[in-house]
Amino acid sequence: MTQIISRKDLLSWLERLIGERIVIAPARSNGMVLFQRASRAEDIVLDFDNTALSPKESFLPLSEALFTVDKENGNIKLMPTTVDEETVFFGIRPCDARGMALIDAPLLAAPADALYQQHRARTTLIGLACSQAGPECFCTSMGIAPDDPSNVDIMLTKVDDSYIVQAITEKGKALLPSDLIAESEVMPPPAPSLQAVLTEGIVEVMPGVFEAPYWSRLADRCLHCNICAYVCPTCYCFDIRDYIDEGSIERVRSWESCQSPGFTRLAGGYDPRSTKGARLRQRFYHKLSYFPEHFGLIGCVGCGRCVRYCPVNIDIREVISDIQKLGAQSEC
Amino acid sequence: MQEGLDLMPQIRDKARELLTSGAVDCVIGYERASDGLTARPLFAYEPNDVDKLIFDQTCAHNLARFLVNKRDSTVAIVAKPCDSRAINLLLAEKQIQRERVYVIGVVCPGIVEATWGQIGDKLQARCQLCREHTPLVYDFLVGEPPAEEPPAEPYHDVAEMEAKSAAEKHSFWAEQFARCIRCYACRQACPGCYCTECFAEQLDPLWVGIRIAPMENEVWHIIRAFHLAGRCIACNECERVCPVNIPLSLLNRKLEKDVLELFGFRSGLSAEAVPPLATFKKEERLGMSE
Repeated sequence: MTQIISRKDLLSWLERLIGERIVIAPARSNGMVLFQRASRAEDIVLDFDNTALSPKESFLPLSEALFTVDKENGNIKLMPTTVDEETVFFGIRPCDARGMALIDAPLLAAPADALYQQHRARTTLIGLACSQAGPECFCTSMGIAPDDPSNVDIMLTKVDDSYIVQAITEKGKALLPSDLIAESEVMPPPAPSLQAVLTEGIVEVMPGVFEAPYWSRLADRCLHCNICAYVCPTCYCFDIRDYIDEGSIERVRSWESCQSPGFTRLAGGYDPRSTKGARLRQRFYHKLSYFPEHFGLIGCVGCGRCVRYCPVNIDIREVISDIQKLGAQSEC
Repeated sequence: MQEGLDLMPQIRDKARELLTSGAVDCVIGYERASDGLTARPLFAYEPNDVDKLIFDQTCAHNLARFLVNKRDSTVAIVAKPCDSRAINLLLAEKQIQRERVYVIGVVCPGIVEATWGQIGDKLQARCQLCREHTPLVYDFLVGEPPAEEPPAEPYHDVAEMEAKSAAEKHSFWAEQFARCIRCYACRQACPGCYCTECFAEQLDPLWVGIRIAPMENEVWHIIRAFHLAGRCIACNECERVCPVNIPLSLLNRKLEKDVLELFGFRSGLSAEAVPPLATFKKEERLGMSE
């Protein structure tokens, strides 16, 4: 037996949740589908490939004050930012849910990033299995499946005009609307099949191709914008700056990326990654070498956003297969 | 897409000749992207690479943007008319040397709207307005120039925006800029944005903070647009690459219209023309003409 919820009841449930807490869900906006704060269930989009931007913005906002410092009657007061409101994050895809789990590895390792930790703890993730794959999707190559229920609290899988409901965690179970859920014999549809890129052995190949001229040639066409990093569900780099105004200080962090000129510029002006090739190489080494070395998994979930949005088509699947070839050549 | 448009053999032959003779170190052109449909920039260094070169109505990129990166070598570049205007801009602003750039000009049929994995059948908006189908600067021309060019289109979209009140304009743009994620793809794709240190990255003085928020975004976009007044060559790459669909061409076209009305100037038409905002005429002093 499986538990199901009809599309109509799913929307009623979401409407109910909107009344109780913050609900972030996919919605149409300027020709895109984006995760946005929902004010009405009818604005929530249920049928979409994936959102233009990844869900990370809800947990690691584009910009956020870490704390403020105020001077009051000669006393200095430091007030850390806190996340108080409970949030339901609806419609996260399995690839993106893995993306959040990957960001957890560096940011929740002791000492945990306090603000990120609060965002994560205050949020319940409702996943939506993919019933179709986009042309850029390659999650299966990264060990994820389009219907993978890991990394979410509740998983929904569309069957005809209903959704199979699986409570994955206790947090998820507590949120389920028992009055709207029915028992059913319905079976989940087979997950869509996707194109594959060979990732086996890539982590081992990476160290040997660091000096390859490949990187500077690839960087020829790279614009060094931050699109790949900013649409990526696993990139988590940021910059920090103090905003000072009339005796009050706000320490703000904002997204930043290894593709920016000056990202690694040190005091005194030296930049260890001053060339375009070195900057582009860093992106792939972080995902395919440094991250798996430290945390055991490749730092890519195969969502394909960077493939879709790169203005000059630097395609990570192609890069992986090029590196495999380079590695094979150097072994000969 | 138009059928029978086969400029590829000529482009490849010329590229092969230039690389084989050693006349250039590299040919910057287009190759097929990983979706098998659209195009991406190609840097061909070896005669063997030239068979990858393509040219069709998906070749959107303004390759002139890459010329400043290749200042130290001699390169050939496949240039559409709008790209050729960018080459003129870079020459006029002394950013590249004419003798180090070999221009393979291509008579352009217009570029279709496309995103990765999907080609539309409509011409891009900028191409629908295009008045130059033949490159303005070239060493070798591929394709048959049209007998006559279409007349100038009035700035309908700009006029519509101009008719709105200041409050309406501000709320329109505030909404557009609010969703900017400051990836700076608009800057990076722009052939006119070549500063070694962009104001957006300067720390002292700090022009625009790192905060990615409506006010900072507005500062970024307004200064970006003003820096391109009288310089933007309307290739519209900034808008094409924007991942959050900000209609930057509307802002660029407003400046283009103003510069045309005030100075009778369109940028990139020649390498000799002095950009109006890079010079000063005595009669332009406020009130002098009265």
